[in-house]
Amino acid sequence: MSKQKPYPEYRRKLGPGWWLSNSHFTQYMIREWTSFFVAVFSLIYIYELSLFATGQKGSALALMKNPGIITFNIVALAFTLYHAFTWFYLIGKVQPIKMGKTKSKPWQALMLNIVLLVILSYTVIWILVLRSG
Amino acid sequence: MSQDIATIRVTRYRPEKDGEPYFQDYKVPYRKDMVVLDALNYIKANLDGTLTYRWSCRMGVCGSCGANVDGVPKLTCASFLHDFRGRTIKVEPLPNFPVIKDLVVNMDDFMHKLVEIKPWIIREKESPPEEGEYRQRAEELERYAQFSSCINCMLCYSACPVYGLNEKFLGPAATALAYRYIQDSRDQGKDVRFPIVHELEGVWECTLVGECSVVCPKGVDPMLAIQKTKILGATNALKSLLMPRGGK
Amino acid sequence: MPRVARLHAILWGVFSMGGFIAAFLLPVLIYLVGIAYPLGLWPMANTDPTSAILNHHHLGTLFLFVTVAGSLYHGIFRFQSTLTELGLARAKRALEAIGYLIIIVGILAVAYYLLRLNPSVLSLP
Repeated sequence: MSKQKPYPEYRRKLGPGWWLSNSHFTQYMIREWTSFFVAVFSLIYIYELSLFATGQKGSALALMKNPGIITFNIVALAFTLYHAFTWFYLIGKVQPIKMGKTKSKPWQALMLNIVLLVILSYTVIWILVLRSG
Repeated sequence: MSQDIATIRVTRYRPEKDGEPYFQDYKVPYRKDMVVLDALNYIKANLDGTLTYRWSCRMGVCGSCGANVDGVPKLTCASFLHDFRGRTIKVEPLPNFPVIKDLVVNMDDFMHKLVEIKPWIIREKESPPEEGEYRQRAEELERYAQFSSCINCMLCYSACPVYGLNEKFLGPAATALAYRYIQDSRDQGKDVRFPIVHELEGVWECTLVGECSVVCPKGVDPMLAIQKTKILGATNALKSLLMPRGGK
Repeated sequence: MPRVARLHAILWGVFSMGGFIAAFLLPVLIYLVGIAYPLGLWPMANTDPTSAILNHHHLGTLFLFVTVAGSLYHGIFRFQSTLTELGLARAKRALEAIGYLIIIVGILAVAYYLLRLNPSVLSLP
């Protein structure tokens, strides 16, 4: 199979801008970049927890009220929700639920999980914030 | 009598002469229902006999005629010219594979991976013919039917940026075919196939771009197969961690 | 399965769980801590959300740990692969090492700080 090749084959390399050439690829990259905001928010919040834990509650609260941080958080929330919705859709594709003869469609999984997200979020607020510990 | 003319822009690469590929335009008389393969055949028969490309069945079942048509991996026998009305149609070799000549790419890597996953029923012990066929219910067939439609056309490899960036990646079709056999109730080859698909450059490289499933001309969903194989791998690893002796 | 691949399979499994955590639990945390409290929106009236949550010694601590650790793991894991896909493929090993380091330090840190804030967590309810 591998004989000595008399003439060179032409090898094309995939450049770092490959994701710009195709709208599916660009959407994919944006979807993956949600991870940046998820990770960075977590790190910021860990830092805030460290301020709380070391008795610097004032600095922690001031950090949370920083306009730059608030802007970041709004963007992070948007991207996190985008992660959630694309995640729900993917789960819907990978694990359809059998409903009689038909299988569920991904957008149905998306809708169902959005409802679950809303219910779960409200439950968290109700148990951990509205009710005192 | 005026006739519509379609302009086909084809990649030419003659390894003995050209350092790099270049484009050559051909004007092809356009007939309704013509596909790109018809245009290529017309060019070879009437305009330029040196044009080199692969094709066979011309009806979308052999998987030979894959090419990048207007930037999208497609079967040239399934790409209708009327979809490109008025535009020059670019026909390039399938991306992510080395080019041997013109539109012909080197398929060795894919063929190697195809054989690696052992695309045949593996039995611990073959039943003798006197015992009859292996029976399979309709639900059991449905678990893998979709993945058996693969015609090995390699469009999915051309669509996959992960494969484009890392040639060692096992890739969509090979994994989908491995999954097809893993899911086949007649197959007993999990122990043979799992190590291959679950190696580092197996399914774990996939980041769910999903373009493989978009370009597949036969409706196979390799992304789904890869994702399911990842889940199998993760549950397997967890089982072997929690139950090192028992459990398979 | 070879050892390294088996480890990777489990790491992927955790990443996948982290995806669910980031999808279902992170949005409300970002909203409460990062938007509702600083801007005075519902439901944050006067107390800051972290203190309110941590008032629930066990459930609150568990919620914060799971949400932050899971999201951090998922985010870093995925971000690593985007860096590889953006052309840094050759630095892959180094990026993975740095990524896992951040994950380990981050998870240890969040566990440590939460335990400092709520030491009673370790005693069963």
